[in-house]
Formats: sequence, structure tokens, C-alpha cells
Amino acid sequence: MRRVVITGIGAVSPLGLTAADSFNAFHSGRSGVDTIGAFDASSFPCRIAGSVPAFKTADFVPKSYRKSTKIMARDIELAVVAADNAVRDARLATRGILESGGGKAPADNWYAPDPSRVGCNIGAGLICADLNELTEAMVRAANPDNTLNLARWGKSDNPSESSGMDTLAPLWLLKYLPNMLSCHVSIIHDTRGPSNTITCQQASAGLALSEACRTIQRDQADVALVGGGESLVHPMGLMRWTLLKLLTESGNENPATACRPYDARCSGTVISEGAGVLVIEELEHARRRGADIYAEIKGMASCASALPLGQADPAGEPLAHVCRRALAGAKLRPDDVSALLPPASALPQLDQSDIAGISSVFSSLPPMTTPRGAVGDAGAASQAIDLVMAAQMLKRQILCPTVNCDQPLHDIPVVKSPKTPADLAHVLILARSLAGQHSAIVLSRYQEAH
Amino acid sequence: MRHRVVITGMGWVTPLGCDIESVWRRLLAGESGVAPIRNFDARAFPTTFAAEVKDYHVPDKIAASGKHSRISRATGFALDAAHQAWAQAALPEPGTPEHKKLNPYDIGAYLGSGEGSLDFSTFTRTAIANWKRDADTLDMAGWGRDALKSFNALAEIEQEPALPINHLSMEFNARGPALNCLTACAASTQALGEATEIIRRGDASIMISGGAHSMIHPFGVTGFNRLTALSTLNDDPRRACRPFDATRSGFVIGEGAGVLILENLQHALSRSAPILAEVVGYGSSADAYRVTDQHPEGRGAVMAINEALKDAGLTPGDIDYINAHGTGTKENDSTETHAIKAAFGSHAGRVPISSIKSMMGHLIAAAGAVEAVTCVLTLRDQILPPTANYSVPDPECDLDYVPNEPRPARVDAVMSNSFGFGGQNDTLIIRRYRP
Repeated sequence: MRRVVITGIGAVSPLGLTAADSFNAFHSGRSGVDTIGAFDASSFPCRIAGSVPAFKTADFVPKSYRKSTKIMARDIELAVVAADNAVRDARLATRGILESGGGKAPADNWYAPDPSRVGCNIGAGLICADLNELTEAMVRAANPDNTLNLARWGKSDNPSESSGMDTLAPLWLLKYLPNMLSCHVSIIHDTRGPSNTITCQQASAGLALSEACRTIQRDQADVALVGGGESLVHPMGLMRWTLLKLLTESGNENPATACRPYDARCSGTVISEGAGVLVIEELEHARRRGADIYAEIKGMASCASALPLGQADPAGEPLAHVCRRALAGAKLRPDDVSALLPPASALPQLDQSDIAGISSVFSSLPPMTTPRGAVGDAGAASQAIDLVMAAQMLKRQILCPTVNCDQPLHDIPVVKSPKTPADLAHVLILARSLAGQHSAIVLSRYQEAH
Repeated sequence: MRHRVVITGMGWVTPLGCDIESVWRRLLAGESGVAPIRNFDARAFPTTFAAEVKDYHVPDKIAASGKHSRISRATGFALDAAHQAWAQAALPEPGTPEHKKLNPYDIGAYLGSGEGSLDFSTFTRTAIANWKRDADTLDMAGWGRDALKSFNALAEIEQEPALPINHLSMEFNARGPALNCLTACAASTQALGEATEIIRRGDASIMISGGAHSMIHPFGVTGFNRLTALSTLNDDPRRACRPFDATRSGFVIGEGAGVLILENLQHALSRSAPILAEVVGYGSSADAYRVTDQHPEGRGAVMAINEALKDAGLTPGDIDYINAHGTGTKENDSTETHAIKAAFGSHAGRVPISSIKSMMGHLIAAAGAVEAVTCVLTLRDQILPPTANYSVPDPECDLDYVPNEPRPARVDAVMSNSFGFGGQNDTLIIRRYRP
């Protein structure tokens, strides 16, 4: 079996615009959750979110591609920025990197991969249309009772005026297709190998990583860009999560302490945004080019709860199942796990279910940590950010702390202060979507064989 | 060692009907499922017609379970098609003692399903009512208050593309690998290919796989009309989709679902399941060219076709039929023809090619799944469905497109192509089962 390792990481999150900045914030226990600034959220009971600091997407694409940033929804922009971060971290001289450097790689030790052997697999969510853009078009065709007049939407009464729909940009639809995260990244970096877009909410990134890892194992690619990106910090996202009663309403005054996964005072989560992209690579391919290796991908598993949205098995059986499957695939025993990043929904019923499931697998629980309290729930980006953090923890042998878990439920061993050196051998990263899809990934410290 | 993967059940919900046999007869007869749009008032749209699933209701048996309230149209299609496939595969009905004996973690679901459509009336009314005309912007505080009172939580979350597999998981207690991919028009072909890989590597014995989608709603048609991708032959809807014809002018949007039961061969044999065909090859690639256009030489399509052939251990001469992506757009059909020639070489002129989109329309994410079902039927009945509406040859498209009439043929291995916006390419090869 071909072995697969992580050779580059990229992230854009409420904790920073790079994987390194995000990790440093995670390490220092800083929170990225704050009052929503992207739009006026004053009429919502929860008015806080994890928002990514300001950036310009055009700074992260080659000059020839700047025009295309106009047809990127925010979810796409986040993925493009994270992919740039990851590709540079892996020292891959892709088309985009070469073009940005005037035809030259930043240094001699960069490597230009064969495009047909590079895949791209980035998980995505349900991308919301820009409300102002769409409404501006709709009001041109509105009836007096505020309904949309489909006749005037389709065709203007006055031939010299454009109809409602005609005021939308011709490429309007392409901003909102979930596969556009992977597509833009594949075009910028010229990745022509297997490409996929997993849309399984919070479990997307682990599933995307698994799918891409299999394509490398079965020799259809040597390298892949994998992860997930989503922005829930959107009026429609906030409205949906509010109506589903997922959000905490007690954190508006103190946003940094609002999101409290596994804590006795947890009262709901907060929405967030971001993207995480990892460069994964066949081991010998990575060694030949002298790549720095963060970790090896040892185990992967997926399953479903078969329960209605937002519900979890009280015994946590599906989560226990993916833990066992992923460990079995990695040929490891539960005792071998040195740290665990749990789903951390910050929803009391789901958090209880996690603890029950995990406890049924481990006779003594390994240290548990999560960036969720500091980041919030970024949908398809959540597990991607977790994977990026876990890869860095393994590489640097640091255990990062969990914020806002002062009174852990059932006294689970949540990491409260950073630990270095942490002696991390195997880290288990778990995710569960609201719709019940689970994914489990085992990452292992990579040590050169002597 | 990898396991062999066979197809043991199939179901679909299509613009030509909702059961396998009658729709297959209509496809062979060259009938059209295209008609003026009824889902909403499209009379003033540039395109006024589509291939809708007419007068559709989720079967009572499914609706009555109480597990599927407020589901999207796509989820309803998926559940319906999956029940047909499950029954054909002779798997025990959910709720029976035999069903309880199945290992739920050995049964997975992998769909290429699309998002559900917006709650159109609530979405448009709340947005328009809170527009500040003096400032040309939305009053977000007002919108927020209005929206929280007006939208329905369940109907909103049911739009998530992960929801169709969630409902399949619940309906069949399928707790194995659960994934949805949404790679535009290639999605359900990709889902079938990746679900095959899951069984090959032993992560499940049964996968419920395929796709479901409906974009026949005002903003869906708006989006494709703005892209000028749709045919606007409003005077002659039934003949609007003309794949490979010189007068082709765009695709016709359709809706529906196709679901197949993929199964580990040994598992299927051990329970004496009906074996309909074997999935033998899968290839996937990206054009990495442009968001708006296919690579002019079909670079990605050629790679997907070649990967699928390699995966199947077959050569172009082994392929007896290609079910084309064949959308009826200027660009796709000439690019696809180019790609087939590049991949098949001297065999390109000998292999019959047809596009059922000429009759069924383009089911977007679900297209690949209904085309895979069609491929299995060609293997079973040794007959090829036609490309309807073909009359004027195009010098750019000079292969054998099985024009207008079905054709009896010796068919052992068939290929199905799907290409998506943004340069997503997937190819499947399906073969008659031989022990």
C-alpha cells in the first residue's frame, strides 16, 4: 500500500490568515469570536461569530487570474487563500506560484509537480447568494405587495430597460456552485488529477481528505490539495442556525467566552467561517523532493447516524464505530492515541453523545483538545481547520489548549494549558455533521526510518 | 486484492416517468419529456420550458413514515428511486425482521445530490419588503426580524446537499460510509465511481448510490439563462435539445433522480441477488482550464476516459456503446466528440454514441445516475437508445450518434461520460456480468 503524508498546510480562520497564525492563536488560547461586523445582526438573539480578518483575494492569485476573483463567493475566496498558503508551505511550484513569481519559483528547492498527478478535493457547504446583489435585481420586478413579479423578472415591460434577471451578472450562478472551490483552486494551481467536492457539512473535510488519500493509495495521483471551506457568517446562515436553535444567546456581551464545547455552561454554538487546505502526498514522492513532512495519514473511516438532523445517539455508537474503524485501519489500539480532537459541536445533547461514544472506545481517555471554542462552527471548514491544527501539533510536538471549557462534562481530560514537548505519536480527529455523517482521521508522527 | 462490484438494483424518477420499464420503453421510442414549465410561471423567461417530473408526489409509503417532513424535491426523488432499487435488489423491506438482521454499518450511501431549492416566496418577499430604496441596500435589521418570523427552520435546513443521504440513511438504516459529492453535472457519475471504490476496498458490502436534483425553480432557470446555456426554442420544446446536431443551441434543464444498489459480488452471490451488471472502470479528472469553458481539446475528458479504461483493464475496441454527456450545447458536443476521438483513436468511428438528454433533458447532478441506469438496460436488452432530434450533421461532430431510432446491438461493455461546469470530468465503464 502506498503511504500518504502531509507536506503542506494552509488555513484562513478567525484566528488568522495563515495556518501558522491560526496555530499560534490556538496555542496561546486566544479566541477569534467577536461581534458580527459583516452585516447588521442587531435583530438576532445571537449577534456574534467567528469572522476572518480582512484580506484581499487578489493578493493570493496570479495577476492573470485577478478578474476571476469577481465571480467568487466568500466561501470560494477563503478556499483560494488557504490553498495558496498550503501550496507555498509545501514548496510546490504550481502554475499559480510560478506566474506570481514572474515565471520563477521563490527558491531553488521548490518542486513543480506533474499537473496530471495532482488532485483537488475541497469540501464545501450550501453557498448563500449575496442578498443585496439579488434584492437589487428583484426590486426592479417587485409587485406592490412585495412579491416578485415573474413576468417583469423575466422580461422588462419597457424594451429600453433591462428586466430583473438581466441586471444579474451573466456568470452570477457560478459564484454559488459548491464545486467552484475546487475548480478555482484546480485552475490556479493547474491540478488536473481526480477532483471532488464533498458536501457533508462539518464532516466534509475529513471525508475529502479520505477520498483524496485513496486516490493516491490506488496510484491515480501523487499529490492532492484537500480540505474544506465555508462561510456561515451570512444573514441566511445566521437566520438558519438561529431558527434551528443551535446558537448561544448568552454570549453577546463576552463573545470570546461564548462558545463552550464540553463545558457544563455550554448553551449553544456560534457560526464561523474559514478554510483549511492540506497538501497530501505519496511518501516516496515527498522524500524524493525533500519535502518537510508534518504527519502520516494512517487511518480513515466514515459512517452515518441514520438519525434526524441535529440528533445524536445518546450512547454515541456511530462515533465509537468510526473511532474503532479508523484505529483498526491504522493498526492501532485505543491506548496508542496520544491526543484526540473531538467533533465539539458545542451543543449540549451532541457533546454528551460524543463523550459517551468516545468513552466506550477508550478505557482511559487521551487528552482532548479543540479549536472550536475559539473559532466557532465553520461548517465544511471546521474539520479542515482541526486537521491543519493536528498536523502542526504533531510536527511541533505541542499540545494546544481548549478555551472555554472550565468545567468539563464528566471530567473529560480537556487540555487546559499548552504542553511542550507533548510526545504525540498518534492524533485522532473526529467530526460529525448535523445531518449525521461522521468522519474519523488518524494522523501519526512521521519519523524517518533508519 | 480488490472486490468486484456489481449492480443489483436500480430505480429512477425522471421527466419520462418514475419506473424503470415504462421510461425505458419511452426512451427507445424516442419520446420527449420536455414541455412548458409548470413548477412556476416562466412565460416571460428567455426559456419557458423544461423536462419536469410531472404531477409528482412522494409515494405514500415513504411520506407516511413521518421521518421525511419538509423534505426538498430532490430528497423525495432520491427516496423514491432508492426504494425502487432496494426492492429490485431483493433486499428486505425496512421495518421487517429480515431487515433488522442486516448489519447497518455494512450499508452505505454515496449520492451526488444537489441542494434543495430556496423557499422562494418567503425569500423574495422578505428581501423586497426590506429594501431601502433611498439607500439602495437592504435594511438588515428589518430583514432579520422579518426573516426570523417568516422562514421555517426545517424547510431551510432541508436545502443542505447532505440531506438526501441523511434521509436515505434513516429510511434504510444505512450507517456505513455516508458521503455526498456535488461536482455539478458530473456529480452522480462521480458518486457511483467513488461508491464502487468503497466496496472494492471492503469498507461496505452495499452502497446506495446515484444522485438527485432539481433546479427547475425561478433562480435556477435564471442562473442558466444568464449563462446563455439553455436552449430558447420556446416554440418547439420537444425538439429543443439536439445533441450533436448542427442546429443545437443549448441544453434543456431537467430534474429527477437515479439510484443504484452497488454490491460486493460475493455478498450478492451469497444472498442469490439478481446481478444486473458489473461496474468495472472509473476515471476522474479536472480540466484546470476555465470556470466558464471546457478545455477546447477536452483534455480533462480524455484523461477521465483513459483512466476509466485503464481501471477496467479494457481498450477502446472493447467498448460497444458510449452514453454521452451530450448536453446539446455547441461547446460540449464538439468537445466531447473531440475527446472521444482522441481517446478512442481509430475505434472512435466504430463505437455508437447517444445522448438521452435529447429526450430526458439534463438532470444536472442526477444526470449521470439516470444515464448509468440506461447503460445497464442497454446491456440487458442488447439495444441502444437513440439520440432524438438529430437531423443536420455537424462537421465538428462526425461520429455515429444513433440518430432518432433505437438500434439493436451486441453490447458487452459500455461507457458513460459526465462533465461538469468548472471542468469536472467523470467516466464509468459498466459491463455484462460474467462469473
